[in-house]
Amino acid sequence: MFRSFLVAAAMAAVVPGAMAQGTIKIAILGPMAFVQGENHWAGATMAMEDINQAGGISVGGKKMTVELVRADSNEMTSVPDAASAVERVINRDKVHFLIGGFRSEAVLAMQEVAMDNKKLFLGAGAAHDELGMRVERDYNRYKYWFRVTPTKNTDLGRTIFAVLNSVAGEIRTQLKKDTPKVAILAEKAAWTEGLTAAAQKNLPAMRMEVVGVWNPSAVATDVTAELSAIERAGADIVFTILSGPVGIVTGRQMGERNMKAVAFGINVEAQKDEFWGAAAGKANFVSTLDTYAEVEITPKTIAWVRAFKERFKKSPTYNAATYDAVMLLKEAIETANSTNSDDLVPVLEKISFVGNGAVLEFDKRHDPVYGPGKALGIAVQWQDGEKVAFWPPQVKGMKPFRMPGR
Amino acid sequence: MLQDIIITGLISGGVYALLAIGFSLIFGVARIVNIAHTAFYMLASYGFYTLLVKLGLNFVLAGVLAVAGVTALSLACYKLVIEPLREHEAAVLIATIALALIIQELMLFGFGGHFLGIPSTLDGALVVGGVSVAYQRLVIMVVAAVMLVATWAMLYRTRLGLAIRATANDLEVASLMGMNVHRIALATVAFSVLLAAIAGVVVAPVYVVDPFMWLGPLVTMLAIVVLGGLGSVKGSVIGAFIIGFVEAITVFALPAGAFLKGAVALSIMVLVLFVRPEGLYGVAFEEEER
Amino acid sequence: MYWLRRLWSELRNEVFVLPSRTLVLVWAVGLLALPAVYGDPYVLRILTLTCLYAIFAASWDLLAGYSGQVNFGHALFFGAGGYASAVLSLKLGMSPWLTIWIGAAVATLLGIGVGYICLRLRGSYLSLATLAFPLIAVGLLLAVPDFSGGELGMFGVPRLTNNLIGNYYIAVIAMLVLVFGMWLIADSKFGLVLHAIRDDELAARASGINTPRYKLTVFALSAFAAGIAGALLAHYLKIAAPFLLETTLSFLVVIWGIFGGVATIYGAVAAVFILYPLIEWFGGFQGFGERRLLFFAVIVLLVLLFMPRGLVPWVRDKMETLCPRCKQRNPAWRSACRLCAAPLAATDRPRSTAPRNA
Repeated sequence: MFRSFLVAAAMAAVVPGAMAQGTIKIAILGPMAFVQGENHWAGATMAMEDINQAGGISVGGKKMTVELVRADSNEMTSVPDAASAVERVINRDKVHFLIGGFRSEAVLAMQEVAMDNKKLFLGAGAAHDELGMRVERDYNRYKYWFRVTPTKNTDLGRTIFAVLNSVAGEIRTQLKKDTPKVAILAEKAAWTEGLTAAAQKNLPAMRMEVVGVWNPSAVATDVTAELSAIERAGADIVFTILSGPVGIVTGRQMGERNMKAVAFGINVEAQKDEFWGAAAGKANFVSTLDTYAEVEITPKTIAWVRAFKERFKKSPTYNAATYDAVMLLKEAIETANSTNSDDLVPVLEKISFVGNGAVLEFDKRHDPVYGPGKALGIAVQWQDGEKVAFWPPQVKGMKPFRMPGR
Repeated sequence: MLQDIIITGLISGGVYALLAIGFSLIFGVARIVNIAHTAFYMLASYGFYTLLVKLGLNFVLAGVLAVAGVTALSLACYKLVIEPLREHEAAVLIATIALALIIQELMLFGFGGHFLGIPSTLDGALVVGGVSVAYQRLVIMVVAAVMLVATWAMLYRTRLGLAIRATANDLEVASLMGMNVHRIALATVAFSVLLAAIAGVVVAPVYVVDPFMWLGPLVTMLAIVVLGGLGSVKGSVIGAFIIGFVEAITVFALPAGAFLKGAVALSIMVLVLFVRPEGLYGVAFEEEER
Repeated sequence: MYWLRRLWSELRNEVFVLPSRTLVLVWAVGLLALPAVYGDPYVLRILTLTCLYAIFAASWDLLAGYSGQVNFGHALFFGAGGYASAVLSLKLGMSPWLTIWIGAAVATLLGIGVGYICLRLRGSYLSLATLAFPLIAVGLLLAVPDFSGGELGMFGVPRLTNNLIGNYYIAVIAMLVLVFGMWLIADSKFGLVLHAIRDDELAARASGINTPRYKLTVFALSAFAAGIAGALLAHYLKIAAPFLLETTLSFLVVIWGIFGGVATIYGAVAAVFILYPLIEWFGGFQGFGERRLLFFAVIVLLVLLFMPRGLVPWVRDKMETLCPRCKQRNPAWRSACRLCAAPLAATDRPRSTAPRNA
């Protein structure tokens, strides 16, 4: 956090509002006071340094340096502020491109302002399907939006069921049970309802039995009620669909109760390094979807994750895909030989870019194309204080999935 | 399920009672709506975290230091910020809001916006009647009970308590009777924040700690204090347990409606106010010229 | 020609005589003329938002400052206006120009409802009860996600006009009309009665005033203005989401109102115009922009310590004095009252918070 402040201050001192030709300005928008914004900035800074050290981006025979504009969108607190931030970086700081965003409500508003101004906006955090659907509905207005990470909500759903299948397979092998029992623990929020319904429909077909659905509040500080009921129902898997702090509480309380069921699903808090400490060291075996780990998702992944950890002393979250976004822009600019957003749109639509977490290609909604070898995601499990990747099995470096001792 | 409700209700009720009594006392004696009250509760949690996890002190020492530190800080805030503005009620109100925001932002920048976990004082759980109750939660219940008794003892068995009650009852007459109202207000603030800080320290290992954890309890605490009657300690305690149990029932009886528990508590408050505009045990303040 | 001369004589006799009124005129003219000299979309956007929040803050001051019903849940009316207008224009395809008024009407009805519930409540009880209503409203909205869009809210709400400057003028004109209207209401006999109710409701009732009617009316008026502001904001941002009903927004408007000076209307407006752009400017700094809330809270606290009655009363008292004989305001540099020629001593600074001619 302090480091990024130093970098920003240093940059502000060295390149004071330089509008000089020879600079490509990219705005990095995010909730800078929070971990998501920090990751946005960290990934982008690493990319900027790598590019500038290698000489910059070639446009029309000239080499242009990359300059980043750090813009706090304040999106956690205020959606209007996020929209204002976009307006500010475009009209006052005169950036060429925008990357970032996290909270879907805010990004929907930010997207409007960026589209008003016809500037390329690469999303690095919001998963809501609507962001892509707009591109399809009103192409001419929204074509400047491309989502770099994460895969959209519906694709996350597809990944989840694939991993769930894998986990169920483990249970069948290890516990000799043919039909594992699944308890759905989904926070009460609009985004979970689709997944809950899909689970209730698909799981029986996958030879799993749904023993119940529980909906704690996203900010619940106590899930004893739910966990007691889940224990009584004899569940083997707790299918978590959680994004708020309830994910921490769930992990901790499951550990404190020595529950035999294993937690897997979406647990956004469990993706963070701080999760283990936040759950007071009790959240063993909690597993979740994630984006980065030291495994060979693409040939670049392991080296990049290690470099990131060394530089910033913590693991990258999916927001650090701003690195890929900046590199993607570099490739597009050099291919199109232009920094004009209009020229880059057709290039990006046809591009196939090997990133650190995925191979990026965009469909007609400008969402990352989903699938093994493209954008898929991984699944990780917390084992004794370490986040260990265990899926997809075909990627090199995966470790085995562990069940709580019975 | 009944046992779950009882245990959870007692714990929530106890914690809310600690917060609500303090808030009620400050309002009764100093006529201040202290929006920053739960912010001090949060500050104590963070203090406890720092002393325990970062500095490695043992539980008792960390807890005591955190509570003492926050209480002292609150007195400093009172002297620096609230006292100069005493005559301007409106200004005091937003001063406490500003104070709460400052505390929140300082925690955000000092510790980051993510959630922190504090190891439990005692690990393990007790199995009572088929329900597994974590020892930490029992600790909360015991501490809450002890502090409630201590508060009662302070208010009804000591001279200071008598002075506080007298001042809360009628400020002008108490002053006429020779009591130093300013000092009593100071003592009240100290004691109230002490209660809130103890709640923060004891509850922190069970909840998650983040810079926004003061907002939820604030709203619930306000609902309780209004429900029980502003300025009435008895009302606050009873209100706290009512709301605590109502929340527990909402969470356990309607698992799909767990997120509604805030709205339910507030609706109860509005209903009670409709029937009794001064809350259950509140005193209708005659027009006081301020 | 007659109207022009009339306008000029009005200006000379009513406005230019007092520095505070002159400043207000300069400010209003400045706002209207701004796009002609400085068309930066970012600045226009910030000012548009400022104007809408200023309507919101002024409506709160009308309710809380003048009638003494300190509303901690004012965002309810703001959000109701926004949501109602958004639902109608998005789902039913009605024109935003129409739905804004319907949204404001919905907010007004809610205002009457809340006012009715709060008739029996006094002081802090009323404040804390009002805190509950937006939260209950949010709970209800989240319970019907198909209708209200759930946590994400509704997006794609149609704009009033897609022209940047057009939106700016809509906001400025709406603000000038509504704020001036509220000030006229506050400065009239109606406002006087409200003050009487605030200071001593029992005495007011004993004097024959139908206090419940006045209290309900002011709730309705205040809710109406807030509803318009909320609807305009929803259409401007193209989003109607739970952030319109947030407790933080309610607290923010309380801070603005008190910071600027309660019971002045223009105090609240001045507070928004000073604080909102200031905080936004601070938030634009690359290295520490995310500390904007801390900066805001510290400024509010510091200003309060020096100007406890609010910013605007303090500034105004530096510029103007009260005549001891006829109780009319005069510029501070005058030695004799402009109306009754009584000598003005430098010590005649207004002290009480009673209503005064501005």
